[in-house]
Formats: sequence, C-alpha cells, structure tokens
Amino acid sequence: MKLLLKQVTIVDKYSPYNGLVKDILVIDGHIEKIDLLITVSDATVIDQKGLIVSPGWVDIFAHFNDPGFEYKETLETGVASAAAGGFTNVFVLPNTQPVLGSKSTIEYIVQKSKSLPVNVLPLGAISKNVEGKELSEMYDMFNSGAVAFSDGLLPVQTPGLFLKALQYVKAINGVLIQLPIDRSVAKFGLINEGVTSTRLGLPGIPAIAEELLVSRDIELAKYTGSALHITGISTAKSVQIIKAAKEQGVNVTCSATPYHLTFCDEDLADYNTNLKTESPLRSNEDVLALRQAVEEGIVDCIASHHLPQNRDYKVCEFEYAAPGMIGLETSFAAVNTIMPQLNTQKLVDLFSNNARKIFSLSPKGIDINAVADLTIFNRGTEYVYSTASIKSKSKNSPFINKTLKGKVVGIINKDKVYLNETTGNEG
Amino acid sequence: MTLSTPHLLGIKDLLPTDIRLILDTAQQFKDVLQRPVKKVPSLRDVTIVNLFFENSTRTRISFELAEKRLSADVLNFTTSSSSVAKGETMLDTVNNILSMKVDMVVMRHSASGAPHFLAQHIPAAIVNAGDGINEHPTQALLDAFSIEEATGGLQGKKIAIIGDIMHSRVALSNIYLLTKMGAEITVAGPPTLIPKFIKEAFGVNVTYNVKEALEWCDVANVLRIQLERQNQPLFSSLREYNLAFGITRKLLDSIQKNIVIMHPGPINRGVELDSDVADGNESIILQQVENGVAVRMAVLYLLSNREH
Repeated sequence: MKLLLKQVTIVDKYSPYNGLVKDILVIDGHIEKIDLLITVSDATVIDQKGLIVSPGWVDIFAHFNDPGFEYKETLETGVASAAAGGFTNVFVLPNTQPVLGSKSTIEYIVQKSKSLPVNVLPLGAISKNVEGKELSEMYDMFNSGAVAFSDGLLPVQTPGLFLKALQYVKAINGVLIQLPIDRSVAKFGLINEGVTSTRLGLPGIPAIAEELLVSRDIELAKYTGSALHITGISTAKSVQIIKAAKEQGVNVTCSATPYHLTFCDEDLADYNTNLKTESPLRSNEDVLALRQAVEEGIVDCIASHHLPQNRDYKVCEFEYAAPGMIGLETSFAAVNTIMPQLNTQKLVDLFSNNARKIFSLSPKGIDINAVADLTIFNRGTEYVYSTASIKSKSKNSPFINKTLKGKVVGIINKDKVYLNETTGNEG
Repeated sequence: MTLSTPHLLGIKDLLPTDIRLILDTAQQFKDVLQRPVKKVPSLRDVTIVNLFFENSTRTRISFELAEKRLSADVLNFTTSSSSVAKGETMLDTVNNILSMKVDMVVMRHSASGAPHFLAQHIPAAIVNAGDGINEHPTQALLDAFSIEEATGGLQGKKIAIIGDIMHSRVALSNIYLLTKMGAEITVAGPPTLIPKFIKEAFGVNVTYNVKEALEWCDVANVLRIQLERQNQPLFSSLREYNLAFGITRKLLDSIQKNIVIMHPGPINRGVELDSDVADGNESIILQQVENGVAVRMAVLYLLSNREH
C-alpha cells in the first residue's frame, strides 16, 4: 500500500506538524514522509482542495447488531458504514443476542473484526444478560479486549448495582458508560414531554427521567471515585448538572448525539418514526443549550448512537416503531452543518482526541514513522445525503434528502485505505 | 364549499371555516333524519370500510348508520375477526382491503398518529374515529353541534372538561375545536390525569377542584375514566375518584346556576357521573348520540367529493 496525500492541512495537537499544510506519504500502514512537496511515481494520489487530515475518529456508542440481529447490521456492514463516516475506531454495544457479556462473545467481536479496516472495540455488559441484576465478568472481558462497559439501551436502573459496578471496575481502571434514562419515570412515554407531546396526543417522557439518572450516577461516581461517561445527554439541566460535577472534580465525562444537536421535538409533528429516539428529541431550548455545551467543552465527545432498524420497524404506527437511527455516516457532517463556527481543532477533539483520552486509546501524533490511523475530510463540500449512498445495512435516517456540509474523503487504518466516492460541490 | 383537507385526521388540521361547514351541513342532515324517509342517495356507489383496530360499539354503530343513511356500501372490519392477530402489519391489511376498490376508510386505532401514518401511504380518504390518546374529531364535532343546539353558540361559551384529560382523545379534540371557535375552556380532574403542559399547549385554565369548574362553566363535558388506557396507577380507587371528582346530584345542586351536562359515553355510573345526574334535566347525553349520526353524515359527505 502506497498513498500520497497532497497539500493537506494537518490538525493534530499531538503532532509537530499541527496546523501545517504538507504532503504525506503513507507506505504499508506507516507514515513514511511528511514534507512540503513529495513526488512518488507509483503511489495512489489524493489531491483535492481543502483537505484536512486528523488522527482517526472514534465513535463510542454504536450498534452493529452482530451476533443475533444480522438482518439490521453485521460487523462487515457496520464497519463499512463507520469507514464511510470517517471512523477508524468504533465501540459496539452489548445489546446483541447473545449479549456481549463474556470472554467468548468479546473474543468473537475482536477476532471477527481483525481483518476489517476499522477497529471494532466491544463494550462489555455491566450486568449479566444486561438485566441489571448481577455483575457480569468484567475483568475477564477486559482481558479479552472489552474497551469499557455499558448495558447500552438498558441502562442500569438499581443504584445499588451501579454503585457496585463502579467500584468493581476500579481494579482495571475501567469506565462505565450510561445512557441516562430512568425507566420508571419514562415509562410508556414516546416523545419528550412538553407542548409538542400534548398537542400530538403522544405520551411524554419528562426531562427529569434523564436528569434523575444523571444526578444519581454522578453522586455514585463521586462516592466511588470511579470513571463515569454519560452518553446521549439531551436536556439543558443535564448539561448544568454535569458542568457543576466537572467543576467539583468528579471523574465524569459526557457525549451528545448529532441528532440531539440537530432536531427538536417540534420536528415530530408528522409522526416521523425516524425521529423516534431514546433519549427523545427535546425542546428547542434544550437543543440550543446542548450546542452551547459543545462549544464550551462541557460535552467531551460526539457519539453517533448508530442504531440500525430495518424498514418494517420504522414503516408502521409511531407507537410501535422501534427507536433509533443510523448515524455513523452523517455524524460529522451533521455537526459540521449545524455548527460551522466550531474550529477544526475543536472538531477533532470531539471526534477523536477526547474519546482517546477518556478510554485510554493512545493518541497517535501524526509524525514520520508513526502508525497511520488517519481520517481525511473537508469542511466545505455540500451534498444531498441519499439512500443510495448508505453503506449501513439499514436505511433509517432522518437526514436522507437533506443537504449536509462537510465530507469524509476516507480513512487509513491497519494498513488499509478506505476512500469514499467524490460527489457534491466544493463550498 | 369544500373542506380544506382531504382527510379528517384531527380537529388540529381544520380551519374554523371547515368546522362551520361541517356543523351547518350536519344541521341539514339532522333535518333529513326527522323525516319519515331518512335515507338520501348522496353516497350511492361509494364504498366505505369501517376499520376498527380497537373495540368500539357506539362509534362504529353511529358511523355505520350514517353511512347507510347516505346509501354508501359498507364494509366492517374489526380486529377480533381480522388477520391482524395473525401478525400482518396494518399497512398490509389496509392495502389488501383497498385493492378491492374501497373509496373511504373510517378508522379507529389504539396508537396515536396511526391514521396520519396511513394517510401517508394510501390513496383513500380517511376519517379518524379515534387514535390512541390523540384525537376523536367526530366526537368533538358532535359535541360542538350539541353545545350550539343547547346554548345557541360556541363563541364566548365557558366549557369545563372534567376527568381523565391525559388519556382522553375526546378532551384533546374538544380543546382544539372549542378554542378555534372562540370558546373558553377549563380542564378539571386529578393532577395525575392532567398533562403537565396543557396550559402552555392550549391556553386553557386548569383546576383540581371540580366544584370550582362547575361554578365557572356554562357546559360541563364529563369524560369517561379510561381504565383500559391506564397502564399504571394514577389514582387510588374508583370510590375515591367519585368522592373527589365525581359529579353527584348534591354537588350539582350546590352550585347557584343551571349548566348543561355532557358525556361522550359509555358512562361509568357512580364513578365520574352519578345516575341521577346522567339521567337528569341538565343532561344532553342522548341528544349527543342522536347528533352523532348527522355530524358523521356531514363529514363523510363532505370528504366524498360527491357534492351536487
């Protein structure tokens, strides 16, 4: 493999070349040369206006549905979707069948994805069978390659168990990831409780269903001194609570989804099942507060919450529709479109550096002789996102037919190159 | 005159002129229903299917009668005898029926938004006969018709809607309709059965004191306690509900004015309404039922595009 990137802007605060426009030559998975002008006769050349190169992006919350629900997504299609979205590392959730809750299932993911161009890092289940009753064998899973632990879509409800889990993983410096939903408060709700749910005649999920779990888990993290990551926060109050906890020195970090930054509950007026999510889309004020939190650095990472659903689960009555949307392929463009004012360094922190730091994935400064784990993208290309372009096995995306700005050109990882087809107009 | 919408999915989508047109047309049909020959040929050769994915007796009978009085061909479909139990999707079921050349669909479903979903996928005109806890537009129209009949108009009238507001599609449709037509609304009931954001959403008054609501209003629309739609405990017992929120003769006699009592049926006697109130002089409950047929005739007629 020999690849030459022409006149790319390097954005990587761990690189001596940060902020510089250079040619980069990659040979056999390593960065061979970085220079003002490189000429090689036998390399694949990428030469486009406005290209940026950063350390490979990391998504910390995606469903690949393998094993068990391969009709929605497989490791192969999930990886194709991640690569197209610019991700070289993806954490996959344990809500599979069987659950990723033992050495054997963790090893299945690790072994089966070895030859794929994206690092698929399994999240082990916190509780046995993600039932929220007993602790699973987290040490064994950690030694087999589990990157962190979560019960995914079924967040741990009992404070006693979550407390024990937080304590338990201290021995391996583990991080627990919680989706903050108190099921007893959210019970039977379908969308955010508010004026919109009242006007649409849909049962509401109060914001407090999230804020209770955020507060509770932060208290538990404070008590245990363990690392907690709260993902998919959606309310202004959650932002405030997390901000205050960080100021107190609690070991808590958080992530937001592109869809909570883009859509609000008013967008559900026509009962669009692709906008049915958990946590639900909140009010416009919440969306604005969340964007502000991204700018201020209270939100550490963007997490796609990629959740494939096949057509039958979405083309049906809203109440019966399954929640979630695919998101790996639109994660960057969605954020870049709604927040064009974010500087590129900040974007790279949100998509790569911060997650690498929180979950102890080594930062890979872009330098000569370093392993090439890179994402190549631009921020200016505008295009209409189409069903035909989707690499995921499922097509449940509310971004279809929407104009997005910012395009992933490709990734380089594990001595492999993945390049998207070029479409759209340079902005 | 025609309606501004091809379906009747909810009162939410109607203009005040649409509501006026339906109510005026209903008056004409009500006059027809007083004649010895109650049938008109307006919808001859129009086939209507009544799709009931949820149990209903009176609404289905009222629609069926309205359809027959208009000379439409009527098909009835209920879940008990349907293929839904065999795991077929609603869209498949409806498309199967429509492929037999059906012109209009009257539909009841337990999920909010189900008729809106169907409207995006099928070509036939749809009349919502109740969807989840969202809307029951023909009930609101017949309620409005009955209020006008009893009190002379809607503009400026004070209407109390009492009971389980949270699980009632009748409440939501009534609120949409009455606010569009210039009436003033107070909702009353236990706090666990009143949506938290109802005031912000509609500008209605909220009280947890039924007596206060009764003293304020010209018309009290008392809702059925939807025990079948409550999947979690929202009040302690029917006994306590009646004691705190039920309309009793004693309570009604204690207020210093005459008000009109309505109820969409079926009544839980001794829970939200005592028998001597339901059957008393203030009650127009049976007129509501009678008006239901005329109002549904008007809706079907106006949506059929068979005007002469």
